Order: sequence, then C-alpha cells, then structure tokens
Amino acid sequence: MIAKRIIPCLDVRDGRVVKGVRFTDLKDKGDPVELASRYEDEGADEIVFLDITASIEGRRTLFEVVKNTASVLSIPLTVGGGLRTLNDVSYALSSGADKVSINTAAVEDEKLIRNASTEFGSQSIVVAIDAKRIADKYLVYTRSGTYITDLEVVSWAKTVEGLGAGEILLTSIDMDGTRLGYDIELTKAVSESVKIPVIASGGAGDLRHFYELFSICNVDAALAAGVFHDGIIRIYELKTYLKNLGIEVRL
Amino acid sequence: MKALVVNYGVGNIFSIASALRKVGFEVVVDSRVGSNYDLIVFPGVGNFASVSRFVKLNADVLNDVMGVGIPFLGICIGMHIMLEYGFEGGLNRGLGWFKGFADKIRADVKLPHIGWDKVYTKNTDDFEFLNGQYVYFMHSYIAYNTEGYEVFGYYGVEFPALLRKGTIVGTQFHPEKSSKVGIKFLSSLTSWLRC
Repeated sequence: MIAKRIIPCLDVRDGRVVKGVRFTDLKDKGDPVELASRYEDEGADEIVFLDITASIEGRRTLFEVVKNTASVLSIPLTVGGGLRTLNDVSYALSSGADKVSINTAAVEDEKLIRNASTEFGSQSIVVAIDAKRIADKYLVYTRSGTYITDLEVVSWAKTVEGLGAGEILLTSIDMDGTRLGYDIELTKAVSESVKIPVIASGGAGDLRHFYELFSICNVDAALAAGVFHDGIIRIYELKTYLKNLGIEVRL
Repeated sequence: MKALVVNYGVGNIFSIASALRKVGFEVVVDSRVGSNYDLIVFPGVGNFASVSRFVKLNADVLNDVMGVGIPFLGICIGMHIMLEYGFEGGLNRGLGWFKGFADKIRADVKLPHIGWDKVYTKNTDDFEFLNGQYVYFMHSYIAYNTEGYEVFGYYGVEFPALLRKGTIVGTQFHPEKSSKVGIKFLSSLTSWLRC
C-alpha cells in the first residue's frame, strides 16, 4: 500500500526560511539547504519549498536557492511561489524542482494548469489552494492569503482536477501556525470530492493531529513547517508514532 | 565512468544528473546521443507525446547506439518510450526495445500514483535488495503486456517496476528521488553494467 507522506514545508523569503502565524508576523527559521537535508536524514518523504512573498512582490522564485537545495536532496522537491507562466514552470523544473505548486496564477489563468500538465505531465503539477471559512462556506484566497476570491473550495478543487492538476495542496488559513490541529472538516470535504492525491496543510502542533488527520480523512500527505523547524516534532518520532497506530508510513 | 542524461527539452533533469554524480559518474546532459558513454539515461520527465517526438527524430541513432551494446537506463516515461507504443497524449510509437505498451492504470485508484510505495522481486539476483523497499513513484501510466519482470509493485493492479533485457534497464519508479534505496540502486547498476 502507498505510504502516507510527511512533508516539511520551507517558506522562503530572501533566501531564508521563515514562518509566521496566519500568514503574517514572519520569523527567521534558518538556511533552506541545511534544513532540507536535515529533514531528509530524519525521514521526510518530500520537501516543499515556497517563495512566500513572490506573489505579492511579483518576484520570481529564487532559483539559485532551488538549485542548491535540489542538489543535496534525493527525495522529491516541490517548488512554488510566484510561478505565473509556462516559462516560470519550465525554469523551476529545470532548476531541480520535481513538481511545481501553482496558486494565484491558477486562479487568474486556468489555462496555465492545463498547459503545464499537458507539457510536463500531471504528476509534476500541484495546485495549492488556500482556504478560509467565511460564514458557512470555505472560500479560496490567493496572493499569500491577502486576496479573497468568490470560488468555493470544493468546486475549485474539482475544477483543477479536471484541468489536469496532479495533486492538491490544501492549506487552511484559519489553522495555519496556530498548532491547534488540521482543519478536518475542510480536508475531509476536499479529499472526498476529488480522485487525485491531497496534501493537508495548516495547524499541526502535536503528534495526535497527524493521526487524527490520517485516520479521519482520505488524504495522502500531511505538510507542516513550524513544528519541524522549532524541533517540537521530530519526523522520525512522528512516523514511528503513526506506524504504531497502524498508519502506513515509510520508516 | 561517463553517463549521458538525454535532454528532451522539458522537465527536471537536474535530480538524475545529481544522483548519477553521487554514485561516481561524470555526467553530460545533451540531446545528442553517441556511443562514447558508459551509460545513457532517458530521464523520467515530460509527457509521452513530447518525449516520443524526440525519440522519433532520433530513433536511428538510438537503435544504432543500443545495437553496439551501450547500456541504457530509462526512468518512468523513459522506460515507457522503450516499449512498442504508448497511449499517453494519443497513440505514439516507442522504440520497441521491450515488448508491451504504456497505458493508464486500469483500476479504481487515485491517479496519478504519487508517493512512496513498496516493490517486490521475483527471480532476480541483481535486484534482490529492492524486495520490500519503498521507492518513489509519480505516474499514471504503466507497462502492459511485457515479457516478464523481476521487480513489481501493486496499485490497484500488479505492475512492472523494473524491466530488463541485456544491458537495457527500465524502472517505473524514480531512483533519483528514492533517497538511500535509489542511490543504492544506481550504484548497483554501475557494477552490474560493468562500466
């Protein structure tokens, strides 16, 4: 059976790893190359690398850092943040990304998902969805969580699946950085509505949160950042814990 | 030891080049194929239609170089183009070095098949160390109607994870993304290929 994946996320700004709460109040967490290789040693299944300010400032991802990070890794690396055109996607992949994550540009130009998945294969195209609950609905946000759209999360997830996305990286803005647990309701709704892999993100604070996620939702991977950067959770211990509870992981 | 990573013009060839360097190869990335290499690698990037265009343009030289005994490694789609044909992006001809064709996984499972999955071996000496190991997959298509295989996986169906004929090897998994197991596989290839 395919193993549930544990994915540390490196939010990168100006070549350094940073982490905030609910997408703001950023603090320095270290060097991306060092952290990525430490996480591979500790048993990380993949690394996600997000240039978090790229969308806002219209900046291109820092491809040199991608190259340096990719050259020390022998697990997959996903790169996102500010990828707006087919050329950006192509450049990220040729710099050493195995997959790219597209968020804002996917919402603003749906053709980009179709064209990128046709050219590079669905398996390389991750669509990131940042979700926030507004009244009784979950709505899609773009531009690093600063811009609200009128798209409902579940219907957008189905749309991107139809356009050829290979995976969905689903982040709860409400839970991001709170360490209060994943947004189970949101994650369950999305993972039950599509037949492509879903990566849950936002809210991990405790080993129990990962077990809760994998035992209730049909998701394929759990992504977290702060708990790993701060050493609150060690990946090897997390995977041992999950395995003892009957969740299939790669150890 | 010198390896050529064939550049079809799309996708990440950086990872496989880095991994080959780690196991001791001098790596050249080029779209021109020649017989002055100890190993030629078809990387696992892109889609069948675009990779097939490359193959169509270079079929003669690829067949000639294979004919003089240069070892080849095809990864994922790089293995699929060594089959007779494939259905990704419409019907496309492959090199026909292995019997069979590439088609979408015919089972009620999430696609693409992305992540770490176990592989198992049968009747193999060279690749026995892969038995029960997790390796990394990212694909929706698999090889059907092949002439047997030594390493396989399950995802709704049983599928070939490794094909071999003489000094030609194809893997459905990505050794360059499979951490220590993948590096061990590439390193075993160097001694097995005697290059």
